[in-house]
Amino acid sequence: MMNRRAFFQSVCAGLGTVGLQGMLQGETARPHFAPRAKHLIVLFMTGGPSQLDMFDPKPALLKYAGQRPPGVDLRTERVTGGLLPSPFAFKPHGRNGVEVSELLPRLAAVIDDVCVVRSMHTFNPTHTPARSLIHSGNISAVRPSMGAWISYGLGTENTNLPGFVVFGGGAGGSLWRSGFLPAEHQGAQIAKVEPTPEKMIRYLRNTELDTEAQRRQLDFMQTLNRRHADGFGGDEFLEGRIQAMETAFRMQYAATDAFELKGESEKVRELYGATEFGNQCLLARRCVERGVRSVFVYYGAGQPWDDHTKIDKHLRGRCPDMDRASAALIADLKQRGLLDETLVVWGGEFGRTPVSESGDGRDHNPYGFTMWLAGGGVQGGIAYGATDEFGFKAVENRVSVHDLHATILNRMGLNHEKLTYRYAGRDFRLTDVHGEVVKGILS
Amino acid sequence: MRFQAAVVCLLPAMVLPLCAQEPSNVEFFEKKIRPVLATRCYACHSSKAKSPMGGLALDTREGTHRAVAGKLLSALRYADPALQMPPGGKLPDPVIADFASWVAAGATDPREAMTPSAAKPAGVDFAKGRQWWAFQPVKEFASPNTAWARRKIDGFILGELEKNNLSPSAEADRRTLIRRAMLDLTGIAPTFAETEAFVKDVSPNAYTELIERLLASSRYGERWGRYWLDVARWGEDNPTSEATNPGYQFAWRYRDWVIEALNRDLPYDRFVKMQLAADQLPGFQRDDLRALGFLGAAPTYHKDLRLSRDVIETLASDDWDERVDAVSRGLLGLTVACARCHDHKFDPISNDDYYAMAGVFASSMSVRRPLSEVDAETEKKIAFGQVRGFFLEYLIKLMKGEASTVREPEKKIEKFQAELTALKKATPEMKGDYTHAVIDAGLWVDGSDADLTDLDFRMGQHRDLPIFLRGNPANPGALSPRHFLTVLEKGAAAEPFRNGSGRLELAAKIFEGSAANLTARVVVNRVWGWHFGKPLVGTPSDFGTQGDTPTHPQLFDDLTARFIANGWSLKWLHREIMLSSSYQQASHPREDAKLQDPTNRLLWRMNPRRVDFEAWRDTILATTGALDSRMGGPSVDLDAKGNTRRTAYARVSRSRLNTLLKLYDFPDPNQHAPNRELTTTPLQQLFVMNSGFAQEQARRLSDKAVAASGDLKERIGFLYTTILGREADAAEIDLALSYLDKADWASYTQALLGSNEFIFWP
Repeated sequence: MMNRRAFFQSVCAGLGTVGLQGMLQGETARPHFAPRAKHLIVLFMTGGPSQLDMFDPKPALLKYAGQRPPGVDLRTERVTGGLLPSPFAFKPHGRNGVEVSELLPRLAAVIDDVCVVRSMHTFNPTHTPARSLIHSGNISAVRPSMGAWISYGLGTENTNLPGFVVFGGGAGGSLWRSGFLPAEHQGAQIAKVEPTPEKMIRYLRNTELDTEAQRRQLDFMQTLNRRHADGFGGDEFLEGRIQAMETAFRMQYAATDAFELKGESEKVRELYGATEFGNQCLLARRCVERGVRSVFVYYGAGQPWDDHTKIDKHLRGRCPDMDRASAALIADLKQRGLLDETLVVWGGEFGRTPVSESGDGRDHNPYGFTMWLAGGGVQGGIAYGATDEFGFKAVENRVSVHDLHATILNRMGLNHEKLTYRYAGRDFRLTDVHGEVVKGILS
Repeated sequence: MRFQAAVVCLLPAMVLPLCAQEPSNVEFFEKKIRPVLATRCYACHSSKAKSPMGGLALDTREGTHRAVAGKLLSALRYADPALQMPPGGKLPDPVIADFASWVAAGATDPREAMTPSAAKPAGVDFAKGRQWWAFQPVKEFASPNTAWARRKIDGFILGELEKNNLSPSAEADRRTLIRRAMLDLTGIAPTFAETEAFVKDVSPNAYTELIERLLASSRYGERWGRYWLDVARWGEDNPTSEATNPGYQFAWRYRDWVIEALNRDLPYDRFVKMQLAADQLPGFQRDDLRALGFLGAAPTYHKDLRLSRDVIETLASDDWDERVDAVSRGLLGLTVACARCHDHKFDPISNDDYYAMAGVFASSMSVRRPLSEVDAETEKKIAFGQVRGFFLEYLIKLMKGEASTVREPEKKIEKFQAELTALKKATPEMKGDYTHAVIDAGLWVDGSDADLTDLDFRMGQHRDLPIFLRGNPANPGALSPRHFLTVLEKGAAAEPFRNGSGRLELAAKIFEGSAANLTARVVVNRVWGWHFGKPLVGTPSDFGTQGDTPTHPQLFDDLTARFIANGWSLKWLHREIMLSSSYQQASHPREDAKLQDPTNRLLWRMNPRRVDFEAWRDTILATTGALDSRMGGPSVDLDAKGNTRRTAYARVSRSRLNTLLKLYDFPDPNQHAPNRELTTTPLQQLFVMNSGFAQEQARRLSDKAVAASGDLKERIGFLYTTILGREADAAEIDLALSYLDKADWASYTQALLGSNEFIFWP
């Protein structure tokens, strides 16, 4: 027998998930507890951004510059050289004096809303599995992604828009997959910000009929559909599809509205910066404003933050627009009263080594790296956890990827141990059999 | 299911605060010693294990003292190559120093003196497990023969309905019957002419003849082959498709073999055996190698050989796990992969059973094999040369890469280059067609070089895997010789496989004894589900204790027994089901029955459904006359311009699944899919309303309508008969005329193609 949930999904998907949640009340009763955040925005820095040049200052790198102090294991997967001091100066910011590098002046200015976690660690030093892990809790690219889990757990607030939207990300389709969860929970990808919404969403705009003609066509089709359904004697699928048609018609306009940048003032456009990442962040804000549950934004194409060489030059090139847009997102959400109900998470699949690679670059470092969170239910203005003297391994208040997932779910009102899906004979979780909520960063 | 090797890397023991404590204190033991014992040692050395490794239980004071008096420190220091503990890697020096201080201070151990737990875990009770319903012999039952019953299954269906004071629905009308049957067997709705001919055929054999004609059509294999490809998680590349797991260029040959096999009604037992061991079966023809694509083009993970041996072996064991899962859930309806880290929590499947099956796949190497005749020795050379050559070239490229991680790369490049040159010389060249298959060769992961892990394929050798404790290859336990699932064996213990990789023995065992009963039940249930839209056992890939039980146990047993008696013929099964009164019922809702049995568990009507994506797209193409009905050959991207081939020939990518397929609930080809969950979402309707495909097909057909006649009503009539297979009634003509006042023919045609009636499968 199809289970109850699957049954409702198959017949009621057209009603949208709010209707679905209504019908399932009492069975799942989600969220599990009062949420602190209703929306999630993840700013993903593909490639592994360098914590040592942005958020995790280590004076010892200067002291031992070019050396590999005896007795210290700094080995990673590639041949690396001596310790590479950060070329960037750090200064304390905000009420607690959280140190941030000169690369990020705007994030430094909003640091009192940001919780910097310096003790992240993961366990696979290769991009693809590490990326899969941080998206889905597993190194194999088969499990549902966090966005899909959240959509499955909470549904969407706006049935006229997808519940899980992805900006950028290139060909990384498996990162926002729904896996064994129903297909409706997979991320809807907008690969590139375009001047018009219809260029961003496949099939969004009818190129042959204007609104009036399209409405007439739909009305005509629905008349046929209604006659057919009545003639058959009523059927859940037939009713569901009639509803889905109407929703699709409205979605054309809801999505046009959500993905339209023209409505934003010059001032706001300027705040975010007229860059791809700036536009993505601004659209992310427009999405959560309209009730989209999760938005993942990928900075740039490929693995831009994979700085094996010339880290000084590359970070100087990449940080300004990232800094501007990320800080703008926080400030803008706050100013609109949305920051309290939106959790923003920034980071990559791992960090980088304190030792040099090719003289002026840094290698992958899964042992210790930095991510930050802001908004819904996390403390601002703090730095949590620490890496060792050289910024290589997380040693204090270590936070694993599973812990991060458990914490994000917790802020969204979901107990990571109870958010399960029965598949292939067992109950699966985003956090598998791991994960503890990081209580020290909750507000 | 998977306790990653990663667990080892997350050990809290390594990050203990450096608080100064006296090594003689109990606190020192609790903070520094016990956690390490618990996380690094208990897995093998626990009194709770059936037999602790080396008889040493470190969760007891006695055992620990014995170790301290013995070789504990030497083992931790890796001083003696014969005894190094833990085997997965030396503990960090500070931890070893803690142990040394603790031993020096007298090895304080506050644990109660205790005898090893008397209550050993029960293990798997196979004798009890064998009593599970799904493993029992299938047997025929008598079925009441009534006026309603056309086939034997009807008696069982009617019996249950009557027991519940329900009656079956009337027979569906002729138009519905032919639409239902054609969508079912060929995946394309009937034309108007076919429908009319069937409606007018008054012969009592008309329906039977229809079913025979459809079963004989080669469209049948394309339809049912696609169902099988879901089960077989068929795809043409890999989850990530990186350097060591590139795409499968010839995966389409497996797809074609499946379609051909179903068209000629290859008995199901032979069908499955060929997919596991075609090359070892009697009567083997080279062309049969295509069947081995089930294993040879299975999802495989990338292995960056700069990573440690443990990581690489974990990835290799993930590959084996995938095969165990596809075979066990797909063919046997058992979740054997749940026993990777421990005995199955619910079903009678042991940890040993899992590794005994995984060993078969660790002994089967994926390789492209030539389809033309070749002797066994030459073929082995070709296979080894191909796979070893591929990895040598990869390794050389890796080290020549800009950011080589490997010390003294030049030396290694030279060594590998020499090996490659010799290998090329020793490998015969063979032109002609190849297909993705497997060949018997064991895989060992060679970690002797700390910088570079190597894959060591040994032709003709097999590998019995050790039980990886908690699923962690860095933590090998007792050897688990390859064998079949113990619970399905006749004897108390399973017989070890003796013949090469054991693929042939595995294939044979799936069709012997209680396994045969289970295997037959699983496929009969799937076929039933594809016909009725709902299987008899609601969890088609889980016949274990966590799965559902059949809605009609006697019917299920009886049908399965007769399926076996009829030579495992799928076409026999189709006939038996489709010629029944149960199948031919109308699907309209009935208020009384709906109230009592809202989910139609008892089959008081046929289940109405929406047409799945493949049949819907194919029927659109057939309707507009665009369908390119050539069979077989390389796949075409679904979105490729001018692709009007059947959807079964669309490219299926595991790393970048076509967005349209995803939109319409195509199952994830990275893992076995028990069934499709058909959704009806707004995004799908955007495709119906706005896609170039919908518009283009509508225009194509409306142009025909306009060309066919100058009369508006005739054009409407043409479109109704062509699209919906029936005449328009007067009201429909009026509706059309008033719509066409302000709209063009293309828009009208698109509305009919997008209508509910067109996508409905009543």
